[in-house]
Amino acid sequence: MVVDELDALRDRFEGCRTIAFADLSTQMILVTDSGSTLPRETLDDLCAQAAMMLGANGKVFLGSHESSAAALANNSGLRVFVRAGQEPNDVLCCICEPTVDAGAFLADARASINRISSGD
Amino acid sequence: MSEINALAQKLMTLISDDVEFEAGARVVSRGGVPDPITAILDEIDNTVLERNLEFSADANTVNLIAGGRRLRGVLAVSPESHAHIVGKTLSREEPELVQATSALLSEMFGGADRLTVRSLASEPFGEESGERGISARRLAELWEQDADETPKSPMERFLKYNASALKSVMHVNKGEIISTVGDFSALQGMWNNQVMEFRKTNKNMLTGKEGPQLICLEGALDDGSAAALVIADNEIALMAYEPDKLSAMQSSWRGIFG
Repeated sequence: MVVDELDALRDRFEGCRTIAFADLSTQMILVTDSGSTLPRETLDDLCAQAAMMLGANGKVFLGSHESSAAALANNSGLRVFVRAGQEPNDVLCCICEPTVDAGAFLADARASINRISSGD
Repeated sequence: MSEINALAQKLMTLISDDVEFEAGARVVSRGGVPDPITAILDEIDNTVLERNLEFSADANTVNLIAGGRRLRGVLAVSPESHAHIVGKTLSREEPELVQATSALLSEMFGGADRLTVRSLASEPFGEESGERGISARRLAELWEQDADETPKSPMERFLKYNASALKSVMHVNKGEIISTVGDFSALQGMWNNQVMEFRKTNKNMLTGKEGPQLICLEGALDDGSAAALVIADNEIALMAYEPDKLSAMQSSWRGIFG
């Protein structure tokens, strides 16, 4: 189940607070990890941020192409967004503590979204 | 180092760094900021009473005997190596020993992501030669550290530390391009056409004030390169970077802006 995959990814990284699986074509969060208590509005904002960072529906905000992954670090935390390789509208949106290693987390999150998207 | 620059650097340290501890040891360099060898020299320069300074990064540890703002020599190295310099008192009369000590520290800590120090009680060291070691300032000259450099802005320090990961750079301050590296035409296109709108939209999504940010986008450029944007008040840097350097960039960003 998708939620099990999200929970497993969250549990592998101390400092990972929320993970959501979203469809960028409709810009909707479909599933969150089982521990998430974020309100719907916050999840909608997170999905909108994923669309802005990665690009969606032909619109690219920064760069020439839609991105395969994006990370935003600021003093309140780290946000990571990553697309599935085969189904680019399938994305993970992740909220972490600033101390989480972005590169290591991204690699693991990419493997997770690919498993989710392919149904493996 | 001039007195003014020395004072400026100490003041910058005092106002910008909140002291961080890791397993009881003080973090003196994070993400290469400041340069680990410079951090070691700073610790020696701050040591008046004789102490055993234990520097560690990853699995490497070096104990130095310092006092009177001077480095007397290397007390111990772990894993064991460079046995020929351990226990020898540094002297300007022995330049090979001085350079071997520099080589040891560079090899052990030059690329350290996090360097920590413990200030321990001093231990008996070296032979009774009357040598008192070499001052941190003199070592900075002998080891050709940038001790005389005017303190750089946080953005300049970030760009300098990550230089090897960056294929091209465009650094903008108050709307004016102040430096570039490599072929920055794609970055200029982003700056001219996208950054302002992106920043405005992004700002609306953030709660509270827009603080320093590092934004990394894999595969965003025409040639498949990753693009990054660092925002810090009026300064913005656009970069094309090597994607496998994301962790190092994030770590140095935290060290400088976090």
